[in-house]
Amino acid sequence: MNRRRELLKRALFAGALLVAAWFVGPVAAGATDRPAADSNGPRVAAASDLQFALDEVLAQFRRDTGVAARVTYGSSGNFARQIEQGAPFELFLSADESFVFMVADRGLSRDRGELYAIGRIVLFVPHGSPLTPDPQLEDLARRLQSGEAGRLAIANPEHAPYGRAAEQALRALGLWQAAQPRLLYGENVAQAAQFASSGNADGGIVAYSLALAPALRERGTFALLPEVLHAPLRQRMVLLKGASPDARRLYDYLRSPASRAILARYGFVLPED
Amino acid sequence: MGASAGLQVRLRQSVPFALDVAFEAPAGSITALFGPSGSGKTTVLRAIAGLHRMNDARVSCGAELWTDTATRTYQPPHRRPVGFVFQDYGLFPHLTVREQLALALGHRPADERPARIDALLQLASLQGLSDRHPAALSGGQQQRAALVRALARDPAVLLLDEPFAAVDWALRESLRRELVALQRSLSLTLVLVTHDFEDVAKLASHLVVLDRGTVVAAGSVEELTSRNAVPGISGWHEPAVALDARVLAHEADRQLSLIAAGGLRLEVPTVPAPVGAPVRVQLAARDVILASHRPEGLSLHNMLEARVIAVEPAAHAALRLVHLEVGGTRVLSLVTADAARKLSLAAGKPVLALIKAVAVEAFA
Amino acid sequence: MDWTALGLSLRLGVVTVALLLPIAFVLARWLAFRRVRGRGFVEALVALPLILPPTVVGFYLLMAFGRGSPVGAAFESVLGHPLVFSFEGLVLASLLVNLPFAVQPMQNALAAIPASVRDAARCCGLSPAAAIRRIELPLALPGIATAAVLTFAHTLGEFGVVLMVGGSIPGETRTVAIAIYDRVQAFDEPAAATMALVLLILAVAALGITNTLARRASRQD
Repeated sequence: MNRRRELLKRALFAGALLVAAWFVGPVAAGATDRPAADSNGPRVAAASDLQFALDEVLAQFRRDTGVAARVTYGSSGNFARQIEQGAPFELFLSADESFVFMVADRGLSRDRGELYAIGRIVLFVPHGSPLTPDPQLEDLARRLQSGEAGRLAIANPEHAPYGRAAEQALRALGLWQAAQPRLLYGENVAQAAQFASSGNADGGIVAYSLALAPALRERGTFALLPEVLHAPLRQRMVLLKGASPDARRLYDYLRSPASRAILARYGFVLPED
Repeated sequence: MGASAGLQVRLRQSVPFALDVAFEAPAGSITALFGPSGSGKTTVLRAIAGLHRMNDARVSCGAELWTDTATRTYQPPHRRPVGFVFQDYGLFPHLTVREQLALALGHRPADERPARIDALLQLASLQGLSDRHPAALSGGQQQRAALVRALARDPAVLLLDEPFAAVDWALRESLRRELVALQRSLSLTLVLVTHDFEDVAKLASHLVVLDRGTVVAAGSVEELTSRNAVPGISGWHEPAVALDARVLAHEADRQLSLIAAGGLRLEVPTVPAPVGAPVRVQLAARDVILASHRPEGLSLHNMLEARVIAVEPAAHAALRLVHLEVGGTRVLSLVTADAARKLSLAAGKPVLALIKAVAVEAFA
Repeated sequence: MDWTALGLSLRLGVVTVALLLPIAFVLARWLAFRRVRGRGFVEALVALPLILPPTVVGFYLLMAFGRGSPVGAAFESVLGHPLVFSFEGLVLASLLVNLPFAVQPMQNALAAIPASVRDAARCCGLSPAAAIRRIELPLALPGIATAAVLTFAHTLGEFGVVLMVGGSIPGETRTVAIAIYDRVQAFDEPAAATMALVLLILAVAALGITNTLARRASRQD
């Protein structure tokens, strides 16, 4: 009898825990300043290079309209695939046009979208790295030649536009062959930046917008790579089928001067109206 | 409370192993299913309980048909008035003795159960232990708990699977006595699976011998043993007869009892049973000496007039098994071939059967 | 600390346990008590998620339940949104991936019940359902509890399948494990560290509970 009562007590305790667990999210989120990701906020898929810039834009958007968007950062190619598979995103900000066209061609978007920014790449080098950043990657070339070069992080060229640009730049400078064995591939350009700044690599070729962000700026230095070294990073955004009115508002907001000013501060070249 | 009824069993299967068995357990009797390991005894018992199903089976108890594949009749085990005592007792580890009995009394109205539980506890001498879990009971206590839990079902038939196998020798004897006493007082029909011939000799009145899934002998224990007709044991068990006897009288001053099995009268050391009580007598063939005339000056108590019915070869080439008739009861005697020749033992010859009182095993 | 993600992870854990335990119990019973020829094969299938990389499971799930598939399409017509990249999709993936964690402890606990005890239950007047309720469940309780705790803990930690099948949609499929990954990429180490610590504590607690239960079970015999 005693044993049974004890088991019953434990079962009730566990049950109570489970019920409590159910409510942790909403309750705790309500208790803190950070709002629970609004279950109704528009779902945004954004290229990782927008990690900090878009966060700022969205914060401003929320202050102005009260709408809290839910953003997921990742590689543009990955998002295109997920959207094809039915991922319920409403707004897609790609780092590259081709992925937007791919989605549009499949009839999954409203239209063929529009250009919202042009991106640039940099060689980022953490403090304490033996590598010295310069626009023509001369120090890198020298170190690769002498065999002293450590790891170099870039985003995966297969599905990350910034990775593709990094590869193009290395090829243009005749360094691709030498660099390949030293490369570290990030799943997206933010992860590449993470690798680059972690101290496990000499550095990395990552997005200009990331290098300008406070988080990275204090960890190292960088050199802006000339545009001619790679195909332009024409960053295109598009509303997807079934996008909510709030998503549409965000889309419009991204063309507004307020939003463009933020993007400009992160080094994006803005398309002429 | 179902009055005890006889059991009719007919079972046939080919997978997972061959079984072809048919027998009857008379109402109110103890029937032993005897045979070596792997002969199918436990399967038969489980089939009687409904725990094992096969393609061709018919089990009935008195007028009730429990299993009949021909008419697709099948009573699941929980609906049969069967009590089952398992070899390892099968007591529920998480319940106290009282709780086990309460569970088994599910078929009785709730208000009747407490009284019934107390009665059963008393029957098994477990009154002070009713709030213990099986792990806190000794082997003998567990066995009695299992037995009395089976009785709680008000069974028409009580099935026991090697009930004394896990128990030491001394405890076995007392448990056997308890079982017999119980069966007599409740007039239960018992089916007992065993590979120990002692159980057969001391407890059972009827015997079904199984070997590799078939019945090789069936009948009353007395008849089968007295004809040395129990296959499977003649190889490794000495010929002996198991007889049903009664206490005729006690001679307190001589510390002897007089018992009678049919017309066979024997003096034995005092039997702890009242006059008229039934006694099981086991008499090994090697303990019966034959004489052509009455000897004198021996310590012998029993010198009985007998007649030779037959002389058979025995397991050992130099021995002979002599079938005798004493007062209408059959008895066996094991002698050397040489002795048989010397006494000219042949069918019809009158002889004297000399039986030591000490050699008679009386089980009361 | 991403409370939404934590709430989502806990919710996923609770739902997975609630749905998986009955299914796994039925399966565990079948494996423990029946001597069928296909049993070894089924046991191997059940154990598969233990050795397969989660991404393999995720890959096959996307193929099988994605938009193009019949199941996915059926689901979408009923619920109005695709099965993949939704909480329901995570639940489905979680059910499959946690199968061995739920089935094996229960199977072991049930198999440890002596056959004579189960037979005795039937011979004591208990119908099959009553026997399960009054004999099997109480005796298998430590195993069931272990299954629940392991499944819950494993669900909290699940990453590969969740990422592939769920994407990382805040409030819907971004569990704590994914959120940690996300915060690291955003250079928000403090947040990542906090969430990692929470998961670590939960994992240790889960292991502690399962060990206690295992000891209790062996003492009971």
